[in-house]
Amino acid sequence: MKEKGNLISSGARIAGRHKRYVVWFFVLNLTLAAFGSSGFRAHAHAILDNNVYADKLLHGFDPVVLIEMLSRPEMGSPNSSTMPAFYCVFLFFLTTLLFIPGVLRGYASDERLPRDKFFSTCGGNLWRFVRLVLFFLLIAVPTFGILSGIQGALAKLAGESSSEKLPFYTRCAGFVIIFLIMTTIRVWFDLAQVDVVLRDEGRVRKSIAIGLRNTRSNLGQLLGSYVLISTVAVIVLAVGIWVWHVGVPSSSVLGAFVIGQLILLLWLAARFWQRAVAVAFYRQKMTEPDMEAQPVPMPAIGMPSVPEGG
Amino acid sequence: MVVREKPTCLCLLLLFSCAAWSQPGSAVIPNTTSAINSSQPLSQRIVAYDIDAKYDPKTHSLDATETLTYHNLTGQPLDRFPFHLYLNGFQPNATWIRESKRDGTRDVKFDKWESKYYGADDIKKFEVGGMGDFTSQLEFIQPDDDNKDDHTVVQVRLPKPVPPNAYVRFKINFHDQFPETLERTGWKSDFVLGGQWFPKVGVWWQGAWNCRQFHGMTEFFADFGVYDVKLTLPQYEVVGASGILVSSVNHSDGTKTVTYHGDDIHDFAWTASPHYKILDDTFQGSMGPVNLHIMMQPAHWNQSGRHARILKETLSRFEAWYGPYPYKTLTLVDPEHGSAAEGMEYPTFITGGTTWWMPEGFYLPEVVVEHEFGHQYWYGMVATNEFEDAWMDEGINSYTEVKVMDSVLGQNTSIMNLGGIAAGERELQRLNYIGVADLDPMARKGWQYATSGSYGGITYGKTAVVLLTLENIIGEDTMRRAMHTYFIRYRFTHPTKEDFLRTMEEVSGKDLRWYFSQAVYGTQVLDYEVLKFNSEPVDWYKEKHERKQAEKKREEAYRSNVWLHRKEDFVVPVDVEIKFDNGEKVREHWDGQDRWVRYTYEKKAKVESVEIDPDHKIQFDRNNFNNSRTAKPNRAAARKLANYFGFVSQFLAQILAGWLV
Repeated sequence: MKEKGNLISSGARIAGRHKRYVVWFFVLNLTLAAFGSSGFRAHAHAILDNNVYADKLLHGFDPVVLIEMLSRPEMGSPNSSTMPAFYCVFLFFLTTLLFIPGVLRGYASDERLPRDKFFSTCGGNLWRFVRLVLFFLLIAVPTFGILSGIQGALAKLAGESSSEKLPFYTRCAGFVIIFLIMTTIRVWFDLAQVDVVLRDEGRVRKSIAIGLRNTRSNLGQLLGSYVLISTVAVIVLAVGIWVWHVGVPSSSVLGAFVIGQLILLLWLAARFWQRAVAVAFYRQKMTEPDMEAQPVPMPAIGMPSVPEGG
Repeated sequence: MVVREKPTCLCLLLLFSCAAWSQPGSAVIPNTTSAINSSQPLSQRIVAYDIDAKYDPKTHSLDATETLTYHNLTGQPLDRFPFHLYLNGFQPNATWIRESKRDGTRDVKFDKWESKYYGADDIKKFEVGGMGDFTSQLEFIQPDDDNKDDHTVVQVRLPKPVPPNAYVRFKINFHDQFPETLERTGWKSDFVLGGQWFPKVGVWWQGAWNCRQFHGMTEFFADFGVYDVKLTLPQYEVVGASGILVSSVNHSDGTKTVTYHGDDIHDFAWTASPHYKILDDTFQGSMGPVNLHIMMQPAHWNQSGRHARILKETLSRFEAWYGPYPYKTLTLVDPEHGSAAEGMEYPTFITGGTTWWMPEGFYLPEVVVEHEFGHQYWYGMVATNEFEDAWMDEGINSYTEVKVMDSVLGQNTSIMNLGGIAAGERELQRLNYIGVADLDPMARKGWQYATSGSYGGITYGKTAVVLLTLENIIGEDTMRRAMHTYFIRYRFTHPTKEDFLRTMEEVSGKDLRWYFSQAVYGTQVLDYEVLKFNSEPVDWYKEKHERKQAEKKREEAYRSNVWLHRKEDFVVPVDVEIKFDNGEKVREHWDGQDRWVRYTYEKKAKVESVEIDPDHKIQFDRNNFNNSRTAKPNRAAARKLANYFGFVSQFLAQILAGWLV
């Protein structure tokens, strides 16, 4: 099937067809977070459950009482509460690394990907994805460091001016530039990931080169799509927090949980939408004459087989 | 001859005395009242400073001539005079830097010494009226720590003592080098705050000179008097200062001289920056109008209304509760952002602190303005020794800050009320205290506190909560009358801690020594807890089905026991409320003398909850979580927090995984 229309709508259709992936990842993250917050939860229950002072945290939210609670010896060391959560965050990262190849294969497939194919794709691409992440870090971390350094230096310079707002605006401008550059790198590696999976390419450096070439030649289209989806995600977050604040009573634990999880689900969906955009782009590219002319082997599974427009 | 000679000698002696102690002209302290809403001086004026200074913004330095007239009201001859040179504290081996590096200050960590931190107050010439030049005889002294590298106190010994009730005039030429703002004085960019910038004579107090070195944690102490200050600086500078503006004269070289006059004040500060925007307002005080001169940073101009509003609200409450504000001006300075000059008080001159993005529901600017204005009473007029009794200015001021902020913005929302997050001032003061509760007593000299944290937690936080609790012990009205009496009785003097404590006892008519000995002079900590409680059927030995029937009819009697425990060593009587599951409430009053107490009840109901101090009269219990206990757990609060925690960790996980993979 060739995805018609612009990348954003194509990506949306792909992500929509395979929304179960988002749900799986969401449930996985929620489960891990439940484990990760168990230490904090146990300490909090021990302090708060049997006294009336806790009401200051339930009806309304008094940060002074929260600080007092966190400083109680019964809370244990900060590490005992937060480290499990950090481990679970890292575990979610590892599971994402493991399962994203299967997701990309599924996105490229017009039919539901059989479970064995999904997992074999995951297993077969694990080491490639580890290498891709390392390459990504090799490029992204120094880039981010240099850009942040420049941003900090400019902000410091701006801080010496008599305008108090100038450092803020400098930082804002810096954040926008850093975001655009880092998103570009993300686009590049998303395309490389798709290339690795769909062409079953063992030489990740070749996929990185292809990803770079495609990113460069279609930067406006790809970056525009990613930025637009990110903007949607930020709007979702802002609106969600506003609804949380306005519509959910401060004592409603269930209401806060539901709205919070909805925000997280939509936020996660936005990232999967971006991945789907990368797949849609790749598929469009595959059907173009200049791309087809190259001796690029077709992926073994799930590549376009449905007639155009199907 | 002899007879005729005697009067001649007496006249000569008199003339000599006049020449010696009054040069040039007659040396008296002026009786001016132009800066106050009073036709009579309000204080016993001991000093008169006449300073002519020229500030160079390029080098952040100043050259000045100071003429100080001192009236010896000590009742004894004085041949030694110590002077503060505070700016010398900003030198690498000075006591201020040593202590600040050891304890940490609010501003700088001093990981590395930088030349911009250097400050100096260098006396170029020191003359004593009628006695000559004493520059070479000046001697640095270190009365507190024997640190020979500390040059923050200098003294001069006179060959002839100044008799009681006589005057002496010092003429001092000095050069100041301001540091980049440290401890609320110095420059930042093209802003400058001139605080503690001139040689200032010590205070004869309790039979001796009190002229402490400049310490990392301490503030200041000085005598009341009259200030006439001329400042010459570039015409583009917008200037503000203590006292009233007398004149501003432009010169052909691009400079101007501004002249300020202050009556019945004990310090003088000034500021200059080309960028200030000015809002002038008036408060109608009980002694006359007060000009509120608000100097805002351009980026904060939209908050000028907030500043004016809280200033007026504060003034009106201080006037109503404690006494009149007698000065004609109050200058509120919004200093350069990041200048470390925020939140400081000088007589009739205070600095606030805000940022351009400060949201409406976050009341930090209001808290700072209120606090610094409060110092006009507790420091400015009731001029306690800030070196030795820091709690009497910072702490009493923190107490009145809580009262005013509660009154203006609400008890539980006086710090912030933003997006469903609310916090009150009194809880913040308590939080400030409980982390350092047993380290130092309130009655401790400022530089002798264990850490900067305990200095802050005790002088500000503990004093506030101790006085809030005292208010609950003697009653709010009585406390207000006591504070009013204290202010009226001791304004324009240097009261001691006992003056304050005795006033509280006198007005309340109560012996409060049991309280003050623990709270003010001691380090006792208060922590009451509900140790446990239970409710057992009285007829527990009967058959189960019999008891069930009685229970169904709600006729089963229970014997309930409630144990209270005093975990720490502070003893204060306390109320306890026991709630039963039939809605009945019982109040008990425990004197707290023993380590624990047990109450037993027989009722046709079980205990539902127990709460110590249900009216929240005691403000300094170290652990509020153990002050109550419920039979049934309410898990909602912990669930709510765990939900927030989980949300944040999920969000972080998604961000990390989303960016890296």
